[in-house]
Amino acid sequence: MGPWSAVLLYTQHGEQCLAHRAAWKLLSGVREGQTQVDTPQVGDMAYWSHPIDLHFATKGLQGWPRLHLQVWSQDSFGRCQLAGYGFCHVPSSPGTHQLDCPTWRPLGSWREQLARAFVGGGPQLLHGDAIYSGADRYRLHTAAGGTVHLELGLLLRHFDRYGVEC
Amino acid sequence: MVSEKSHLGDQQEPGHEDPNADARPLSMPTRRGPRSLPPIPSASRTGFAEFSMRERMREKLQAARSKAESALLQEIPTPRPRRLRSPSEKELETEFGTEPGGKIQTTQQEDDSQSYSRVKFRDSVRKIKSKTPDEEELLDDKDAVDFLLGLDRGAEDIVAVRPADYESVHIRLQKEKELLFIPSRRTVPTYKKLPENVQPRFLEDEGLYIGARLEVPRTNQNIMENRLLMQEPGRRWFGDDGRILALPNPIKPFPSRPLVLSQEQDIKAELETLYKKAVKYVHRSQHMIGSGDPPGNFQLDIDISGLIFTHHPCFSREHVLAAKLAQLYDQYLARRQRNKAKFLTDKLQALRNAVQMSLNPAKTPKSLDTTRRAINEYKSEIRQTRKLRDIEQEKDRTLLKTIIKVWKEMKSLREFQRFTNTPLKLVLRKEKVDQKADEEAYEAEVQAEISELLEEHREEYEQRMDEYRSAHQQWKAWKKAQRTKKKKKKQGVEEHPDDEMEEPYPGEDPVKPVPPEPTNQAVIEQEVRERAAQSRRRPGEPMLVPELSLAGSVTPNDQCPRVEVLRREDVKRRSVYLKVLFNDKEVSRTNSRPLGADFRVHFGQIFNLQIVNWPESLTLQVYETVGHSGTTLLAEVFLPIPETTVVTGRAPLEEVEFSSNQHVTLDHEGVGSGVPFSFEADGSNQLTLMTSGKVSNSVSWAIGENGIPLIPPLSQQNIGFRSALKRADAISSIGTSGLTDMKKLAKWAAESKLDPNDPNNAPLMQLILVATSGESYVPDFFRLEQLQQEFNFVSDEELNRSKRFRLLRLRSQEVPEFRNYKQIPVYDREIMEKVFQDYEKRLRDRNVIETKDHIDTHRAIVAKYLQQVRESVINRFLIAKHHFLLADLIVEEEVPNISILGLRLFKLAEQKRPLRPRRKGRKKVTAQNLSDGDIKLLVNIIRAYDIPVRKPITSKFQQPPRSSRTFSEKQAASPTTHSPTHSADYPLSQVLVRPFVEVSFQRTICHTTTADGPNPSWNEELELPFRAPNGNYSTTSLQSVKDDVFINIFDEVLYDVLEDDRERASGIHTRIERHWLGCVKIPFSTIYFQAKIDGTFKIDTPPVLLGYSKEQSVVAERGFDPVRSLSEGSYITLFITMEPQLVPGESVREKFDSQEDEKLLQATEKFQAECALKFPNRQCLTTVIDISGKTVFITRYLKPLNPPQELLNAYPNNPQATAELVARYVSLIPFLPDTVSFAGICDLWSTSDQFLDLLAGDEEEHAVLLCNYFLSLGKKAWLMMGNAIPEGPTAYVLTREQSHYLIWNPCSGHFYGQFDTFCPLKSVGCLIGPDNIWFNIQRHDSPLRINFDITKPKLWKSFFSRSLPYPGLSSVQPEELIYQRTDKAAAAELQDRIEKILKEKIMDWRPRHLTRWNRYCTSTLRHFLPLLERSQGEDVEDDHRAELLKQLGDYRFSGFPLHMPYSELKPLIEAVYSTGVHNIDVPNVEFALAVYIHPYPKNVLSVWIYVASLIRNR
Repeated sequence: MGPWSAVLLYTQHGEQCLAHRAAWKLLSGVREGQTQVDTPQVGDMAYWSHPIDLHFATKGLQGWPRLHLQVWSQDSFGRCQLAGYGFCHVPSSPGTHQLDCPTWRPLGSWREQLARAFVGGGPQLLHGDAIYSGADRYRLHTAAGGTVHLELGLLLRHFDRYGVEC
Repeated sequence: MVSEKSHLGDQQEPGHEDPNADARPLSMPTRRGPRSLPPIPSASRTGFAEFSMRERMREKLQAARSKAESALLQEIPTPRPRRLRSPSEKELETEFGTEPGGKIQTTQQEDDSQSYSRVKFRDSVRKIKSKTPDEEELLDDKDAVDFLLGLDRGAEDIVAVRPADYESVHIRLQKEKELLFIPSRRTVPTYKKLPENVQPRFLEDEGLYIGARLEVPRTNQNIMENRLLMQEPGRRWFGDDGRILALPNPIKPFPSRPLVLSQEQDIKAELETLYKKAVKYVHRSQHMIGSGDPPGNFQLDIDISGLIFTHHPCFSREHVLAAKLAQLYDQYLARRQRNKAKFLTDKLQALRNAVQMSLNPAKTPKSLDTTRRAINEYKSEIRQTRKLRDIEQEKDRTLLKTIIKVWKEMKSLREFQRFTNTPLKLVLRKEKVDQKADEEAYEAEVQAEISELLEEHREEYEQRMDEYRSAHQQWKAWKKAQRTKKKKKKQGVEEHPDDEMEEPYPGEDPVKPVPPEPTNQAVIEQEVRERAAQSRRRPGEPMLVPELSLAGSVTPNDQCPRVEVLRREDVKRRSVYLKVLFNDKEVSRTNSRPLGADFRVHFGQIFNLQIVNWPESLTLQVYETVGHSGTTLLAEVFLPIPETTVVTGRAPLEEVEFSSNQHVTLDHEGVGSGVPFSFEADGSNQLTLMTSGKVSNSVSWAIGENGIPLIPPLSQQNIGFRSALKRADAISSIGTSGLTDMKKLAKWAAESKLDPNDPNNAPLMQLILVATSGESYVPDFFRLEQLQQEFNFVSDEELNRSKRFRLLRLRSQEVPEFRNYKQIPVYDREIMEKVFQDYEKRLRDRNVIETKDHIDTHRAIVAKYLQQVRESVINRFLIAKHHFLLADLIVEEEVPNISILGLRLFKLAEQKRPLRPRRKGRKKVTAQNLSDGDIKLLVNIIRAYDIPVRKPITSKFQQPPRSSRTFSEKQAASPTTHSPTHSADYPLSQVLVRPFVEVSFQRTICHTTTADGPNPSWNEELELPFRAPNGNYSTTSLQSVKDDVFINIFDEVLYDVLEDDRERASGIHTRIERHWLGCVKIPFSTIYFQAKIDGTFKIDTPPVLLGYSKEQSVVAERGFDPVRSLSEGSYITLFITMEPQLVPGESVREKFDSQEDEKLLQATEKFQAECALKFPNRQCLTTVIDISGKTVFITRYLKPLNPPQELLNAYPNNPQATAELVARYVSLIPFLPDTVSFAGICDLWSTSDQFLDLLAGDEEEHAVLLCNYFLSLGKKAWLMMGNAIPEGPTAYVLTREQSHYLIWNPCSGHFYGQFDTFCPLKSVGCLIGPDNIWFNIQRHDSPLRINFDITKPKLWKSFFSRSLPYPGLSSVQPEELIYQRTDKAAAAELQDRIEKILKEKIMDWRPRHLTRWNRYCTSTLRHFLPLLERSQGEDVEDDHRAELLKQLGDYRFSGFPLHMPYSELKPLIEAVYSTGVHNIDVPNVEFALAVYIHPYPKNVLSVWIYVASLIRNR
């Protein structure tokens, strides 16, 4: 989690969900989940240490899995609001990877910003596709929402059999 | 600065000559200091110097002042008032005041080309600067000179003061003019920019494209052009048009990122944001029960407009004809609309034209080959089409004929019966035709046909001719060969006698082919004409157009005969309504409408069905009511479920036909239904019509407020795929939905020679045309993964075939067979195929009820049902198990506070007392890091009491039969009833019994040493390993371990088998036999949940133990009598625990929804919390979970319920005996602990009727049922929650007799007095009655020491009290229990089957020995078992023994009856196995086995199994 220039008492919890496409078949593990809520007491870094354990089988390269993240923040009243959307692809080479996934959130009109500042909540996307489709995303007014740091260990099997060099 | 100085000089020079003119510039920087501060008189300087200096200064000042004044006066007319002002103000004043004058002065001086404003600025600056110094001189000079003189006096000689170098502006400008070039701003004439004698060209005017130039101000352009002309005269900078060469404007006309404000208007749908309020965090409900998809609100509109009967029992004959006529007319109309004959005629014409065209070689430049082929194709098509057309025309004609015929029949019928029933009227309209043209057309058609046919025939003839020729040739050749062969044969008959045999086909001489006959034109013509006459309108014949109208009049009732009036009245009495069934459930029905005289019913009702799921079936049921006598179901009409595209408003009315197979005969004019009738007078030509009709309806999806159709999502359509595919595509309009491959479709269309002109195919052809016309076709969909197929590594099938992947997936889905499966092999080849067998088998027989394992079908069904309930509950809770609390994941040691620390410190100072050992708590082990062999079951067998003792077989039986004991005896049996005289029978030297204990668990067997006597003491610890199923030691799996610990007590008997007496001196040869005496069964789950089991248990001994008897005398001699003799059985003291101690799983933390009042629920929580605070160990139960997973208040379970009448009738005058019988009945219902079935989840309480239906339940269900029975018997009874041995927390029943209380164990049917020490119930938590709960708040909780008077609030805390009165809760129990008599025959059959199976099993267990069955003994036993049942296993022993002795005197006999409730076969087998009867391996042993099943109502079966082994005495 990147630095948070936000209210002092700031807690986050995130959500992972993995793209699944026709070619990829989930063998085990949960496709989506939620981390615990961490209250960073030292510094702005929130640590989740949330394990993701997934096993896929694929029949093709299309639809390579990616991680969709939604960071939510919880305020001192225990209410949750969106703090950022983000997604990143799972790397294609085996081994341990350190990924940084920047996140953003829609800014909304000034009225909404004002409401967000005082009563919480905030604008959310009605259609999640815009998070990763990106063709029209530039129209959105967004605010940066920190960076999610991921450490992924990857094992690939039999990819070389089909001529995929990793 | 330079100019300033020059000005100063200019102005002051003429006024006066300044003595310190040189010092003035120096004073300038210090000007500010002296002005703000008065001059400081320097103390260090000499007085003279100071004085002289001052004087001189003063003089100078005055002079300067007067000079300055005069100068100022010259310039400004009013200097006076200014003198009094402060210098800064003066400055400002002068600035503004002097400006105009100065301006004029300076403008005159400036005459260069600079701009006016600049001049002005410079001028004003100059003015200010020039003015200020000479004014300040007045103040400053004095100080400045003061300083200078003081400092620099001595340096005057060395330093020469010079004015700064200054160059005047004019000079400088002149100099600059030489150096600098300032381009002009004037427009450059074009000729200068272009080469000489070149006219400018404007490319744009010539039509060439030139991008828009960047806009640059004209002046800038001019400057640039001027500069370029000057700088680089090469002129390469200018284009042909005389302008500077430039690229087109690179700036886009609009910003690519729109402004913030414009965002509001055209925001894209996918970028829409919604402000959401901050939400409180709740656990996501996806793991909760019952919530999947949000229950949508979908709506199906069913419009039932009406019903028409095409046949009805009340139809008169005329109606039948009318219906027929109407039907035919409908058909006619439909045919006329399609007009197939016309279409085919046209087609034929077109094809003929085409043939003509292609025959003409001039017009078809194609190769001959293709034309010929095309012609052939055309011809064959012509043939086809002609045939079709003929058929169609014939059909049309026959239809018309039939219509007319029926109409005629109808007319004759009307005449005959002299009244009219139907308003139908047929009018035949004749359409005149032009006779001549018609004839010509007819003739032409016939001729064309003839010629075609001729041609056809000719072709055929030629073909045949060819065939004939070739056949003829062959035949000739064969003939020739034959001839030569014959010749040969004649020659060499002698040489080759076997030639005849070789002759290939002696019988099959080829027949001589017959040449085909040529065609006869006349014959063909004849044929064609005949056919034409038959099927076509004759030329000149008018075209007949029938028109059916309802214009006729119906004869009124008074003119009709009686039968007809009766019929009409009957019709009037009838009414019809429709029921709408959705998924086989009636959802609504239409109004009942009377049947009209025309047998049409109009409903016009629309039903809006609010549904949640995708519909499975939609049915209409047609009901008919006759008068006031009940309704009959006429027929069912199945409506199709509409496509998702069919929404309200767009759905057409459809007619769905129905018919009924009912038989109705009527005594009036109505023809009835399903009954033959005839139109003829003689009854010939019979006709049978069934009631039938049409419902016109439309079914469609409703549209919601915002225009969204209320259709359940596709995911819900479990019927699947098929209907999901049927979306709005063009192809679905022709009925073939689901096609998407256009190319294939086009190919198919081409192959099947689809007629593009056929109006039926029009939409399809259109589609194909569009699809295949080329690149111009833009699909209106986007495929996400276009190249998926091409880039696939493997196919789906291959991926699905992978066993490893399948195994992984099944494991992660937690399918029971693969749950906790460990370590899946890496390679597919290492996975056995049989891994899946069980799973697949289970999937297959999910709905098949297996009757093999369960002999009894009812139980099989129940087992299946229970299995399903279990599965669904387990699945539900498996998901819930994935919910973790913080405490599950993080073990946080509490930070020690001061009091704990203090205590610890205090403990350090405590005295050490080694002789007083303290109890140390064992460490509990969590389940994760355990493996096989880590866990051991420790069974400590301490001692036993009252083991039955052997009876000498030889001694004659002489014990007088005891009188059957009465209840009171049992209650307060005095020790004196058993006389000690029996002991005289036994010689003291004889060993009474040598018991040992064998513990078997998970088929591991351990046993103790052998002890002596009926009260042995072993004090031995046995260690049994424990293996969890699948090696999985998680709490879930441990909780579901179903194994029992069997503790069997055997008697070890030594028999002397020495054959020869002479060897007795030198050797001992004995055989050890063991005889089963009894057993204690403790389920593992109890041990697991209790952590330890400690206590004295009653040994489950068979009611009859042959060869053994209870030894009373020895007991009597000891001091235990008052305690012991109260009870009958034998007892064993045990201590069982596990090493290491396992942490029992917690029940699932889940709140169940409830229909109870919220206040009541709160009260229960409060009550429980209060109780738990005071006595945390006592069980307090207020709410329980019923079988559907809802929280129910516990008292709702208690309600008087009737026991089976049969039981009540057994002892009409003995209430106690009845109570015992009822308890026995309840105990016969098999026991199945919830904790096993719903592993570690919760206790589910089923109501008594559910319990009796399931025929399985645990203590609570038994106790509830028993309590309800007692209540209905008029007893005061309570449910008693407490702890018992070995069950742990359990439920008993407490009843109040006249003076004392009785505690009933519902599972065994036994009862105990309150002060019975051997009562298994050890503590009492609470009592539950039908209207209240009482919690035990006495100091003790042992039933021996507490008072059961619940009216005392100091002893019992009641739930409902004055502050919270009993609200009168209704019961969840049924009104009454209904008992079916159990089929005796089925029970007998079951009995035989069990016996057979058990016998087979015993033989299986003795694979090395021969098993003989003693039939005689078996039959004796079989007679004996019903007696046992009747007496409930008591007091028959002696009679029985006597009888046995009488009959089998010379056998040594050991055996016993087993009694258990019947649930399934396995426990029976297990019980027989555990007795170890089969273990006897004496060579001449014989066996006897008898089974008796006593049926009780409601399929409760009591099973008796008598096993015995016999050894013949020699």
